[in-house]
Amino acid sequence: MNVYIEGVLALMGINILLALSVYAILTTDQLSLGNAGFMAIGAYTSAYLTVKFGVALLPALIIGALTASLIGLLIGIPALRLKGIYLVMATLGFGEMVRTFFLNFEPTGGASGFRGPMGSSLLLIYGWVIVFVAFFWLLARSRLGRSLDAVRDDPEVASTLGLDVVRLKVWAFWLGAFIAGIAGGLYAHHMFYIESSNFNFLLSTMIVLYVILGGMETFWGAMVGAIIFSILPEVLRFMKDWRLSFYGAVLVTVMIIRPAGIITREMVRDFREWLGRIFHRARTWDA
Amino acid sequence: MFWQQLINGLMLGSTYSLIAMGYTLVLGLLKMLNLAHGDVFMFGAFLGYSFALLGIPLYWALLLAMVGAGIISLLVERFCFRPLRKAHFLGPLLSTIAFGILLQNVGTQIWGSEPSRYPQTMEMAQFQLGPVLISSVQLIILAISLLLMVGIDQFVRRTRMGRAMRATSENQINASLLGVDVNRVVRFTFFTSGALAGVAGVLTALVYLQITPFIGIRQGLIGMVAIVIGGLGNLRGAMIAGILIGVIEVMNDAYFTASYRDMIIFGLFFLFLMFKPEGLWGTTKQES
Repeated sequence: MNVYIEGVLALMGINILLALSVYAILTTDQLSLGNAGFMAIGAYTSAYLTVKFGVALLPALIIGALTASLIGLLIGIPALRLKGIYLVMATLGFGEMVRTFFLNFEPTGGASGFRGPMGSSLLLIYGWVIVFVAFFWLLARSRLGRSLDAVRDDPEVASTLGLDVVRLKVWAFWLGAFIAGIAGGLYAHHMFYIESSNFNFLLSTMIVLYVILGGMETFWGAMVGAIIFSILPEVLRFMKDWRLSFYGAVLVTVMIIRPAGIITREMVRDFREWLGRIFHRARTWDA
Repeated sequence: MFWQQLINGLMLGSTYSLIAMGYTLVLGLLKMLNLAHGDVFMFGAFLGYSFALLGIPLYWALLLAMVGAGIISLLVERFCFRPLRKAHFLGPLLSTIAFGILLQNVGTQIWGSEPSRYPQTMEMAQFQLGPVLISSVQLIILAISLLLMVGIDQFVRRTRMGRAMRATSENQINASLLGVDVNRVVRFTFFTSGALAGVAGVLTALVYLQITPFIGIRQGLIGMVAIVIGGLGNLRGAMIAGILIGVIEVMNDAYFTASYRDMIIFGLFFLFLMFKPEGLWGTTKQES
């Protein structure tokens, strides 16, 4: 495969993971504009482990993600008191805090960045994508998934029904931070070099845009959003210098045309019924 | 030394205050954040730059940059807020981020991504006031900022339009029932907010003398820190908090490590949101 396409596919896979990390937190109606921060923690921790201590990539990724998710817990618990714009700003502040921390933290290179992590591959990246997609697919069919839906639709009713809303919300933060941490580790070992500005506020917001524009009702929306909006800048290369301006304009337009996102829950249901009909027809032909 | 730094901090802080006031006007009215605000600020700085390059005197360039930035802010309202009035609150929030990306890239196309040097448009005179050395630019920045702060504050409190703004902020439906043209109030507010960002842009450019299309990112974030510390929707709180942050920033650079500056500011921001989300002087509306 050509190196360019491989690079695009790798970043697309990482973007899918990041979109899922935002989606995980959104399942309880919380929004994080700081997931680049969790990603940075996963990236720096796993890179430090593989480069300085020679730890194998897979355990390093998991340790990095666990570290990120531990911080996610520390953020998630006090963040429970915040809603709406306040939570958005608090997570944004968290992301910027992490970025400026790594900018000044000398053991991982500080302002000059950290060189050396390597060994990521398309197989590994998409392996993780499959793991988490399967997880969300199962989750949507489980009791836990239904509880999360209930919390998202109305936390007060959910708690009257006997659901532990606090625990579910904190768990969602933990999970989102974990997925972002894995994505960060994969990113570091794909790029061979990381610096704090890789994990800026713009990245956090782009990830959220993938999810919102793709559709925040189902994890398919998050995935489709990540795929479309990772490929779009590449498709727009023919526009040369105006490409990113046009990209911004497309984002604004999609938001106006489809404020609920490209993929809605109804679409997924209709698609499933359509698939069902086709399979049904195929079966009756066989007989 | 200390007094000199204090003056520098006040000057920097007053530009932050202007940005924070613009945020607050829109936030107070629609309960929504305009995250393209920092990029409207950047456009204001570059418009001032372009007019100055054309040889237009500073005050006229400043006025034109104000109007230009106000118009861009109106575009933000037109494309990111008006079509999404009924959407989830995240809709306009993210749409403004996308609009900000658009503005940054259009800015890069017009003025290039390399720093542009601001032309010297005025005589630099320096005054010795006791232990403090103040340049004429610093005096102008302080004077214009103070004038605008008092002006906007009094405008919102005393005029008919100001009253309409406060009524709309409290309840849009009631306001429109009472004969307030809500759309006009919203447009006016966005224009004013953008114009304030435009002034802040030109004034900041006069301090640093160098601008890039990406200066809006940090300034926009700092403005957001100011509105949180001042209490969301609290106009006077935003002004004072903006100045406070400017002073903290300059003092940190003078007596501590400059590279820790943003970590301290965002740490403060985060701690406030977690433990004192109503800010130092209280919000106009309790949402948290």
